[in-house]
Amino acid sequence: MTLQEVQETAKSLTSQDASTAYDTIWASPTTQAPVGLETVFLAQDKIYVVLVVVLIIWFGILLFLFRTDRKIDRLERTLKNDIHDTDAPVAGAS
Amino acid sequence: MTSDHVNMKWYRTGRMVVALWLTAVILGAFLLAIPRINILEHTARNLYFHVPMWFTLMAAVVVSAYHSVRFLGSGDRVRDVRAAEAARVGVVFGLMGLATGIFWSRFTWYQGTGIWWNWDPRQSMAAVELLIYGAYFVLRDSIDDPDRRGRIAAVYNVFAAATVPFLLYVLPRQLDSLHPGAEGNPAFSEITHPVMRLVFYPAVIGFIGLFWVLYTQRTRLRLLEEELEDRLHATKRTPQR
Repeated sequence: MTLQEVQETAKSLTSQDASTAYDTIWASPTTQAPVGLETVFLAQDKIYVVLVVVLIIWFGILLFLFRTDRKIDRLERTLKNDIHDTDAPVAGAS
Repeated sequence: MTSDHVNMKWYRTGRMVVALWLTAVILGAFLLAIPRINILEHTARNLYFHVPMWFTLMAAVVVSAYHSVRFLGSGDRVRDVRAAEAARVGVVFGLMGLATGIFWSRFTWYQGTGIWWNWDPRQSMAAVELLIYGAYFVLRDSIDDPDRRGRIAAVYNVFAAATVPFLLYVLPRQLDSLHPGAEGNPAFSEITHPVMRLVFYPAVIGFIGLFWVLYTQRTRLRLLEEELEDRLHATKRTPQR
């Protein structure tokens, strides 16, 4: 769908109900065949939308775990680098 | 230090329970038959994933604000660490909630229009809320002195938490929104079929449990970091080499 087509669709949909200020673009049951992404995600009663939503959460958790891991790496490095300094008996060290 | 503040037996048990619990939730979410709803179709199942993200954010905000208040009372740095990590994990859930919401709306509300974002009030307010919490981390990271950092961050955090019920609950209900519960739209209690509640409520509990696991994990790590820093600081001050 080109940008112009999108704007025209949006315009025709908004003109049907101009009484509300927000989100007047309801998806009306379309008779035309879906294009682009919609050929995939409207198929099979839209189950693939649920799949992507679950994947977003899965990747979000994974990303967070990887970031935690990076912090552990840093902690290990600090420990390894500084342990040699502190290994030597230091007089008066608290 | 860590073992003083985190009950490891509880943590390990809780981790296992959360893992099994959420597995059951995911199975239930996909395998149980649900009533057919026009436009939503199978995406009604997103109720089990998208909505608990926001419940979890709210739980995280409560935990975070609680520890901030306790920090202001005690000055205990463990409280500051807990407040910051609860907020951090909460924001991760908020971002996942926002991303899943954008994707869901694209193929339901905005089906046939190619639109991803149309300033739905609840969506916009949620985005603003995440920015408010983003500012919390910027503020907290910008102060070096731990006590000052803790105090200023805690005061800001309490204010940030106070905006949550308004931005995520009160205002979106006053404005015209495609979200359920907004003016003219039926709320959750009127439209949700019993079979969906059977999965939805456990999903909320499960994701809050997952929050608790990640938050505890991060708290342990942060306290360890702080302790190491303190020790290095202590040894470096004494003349050596």
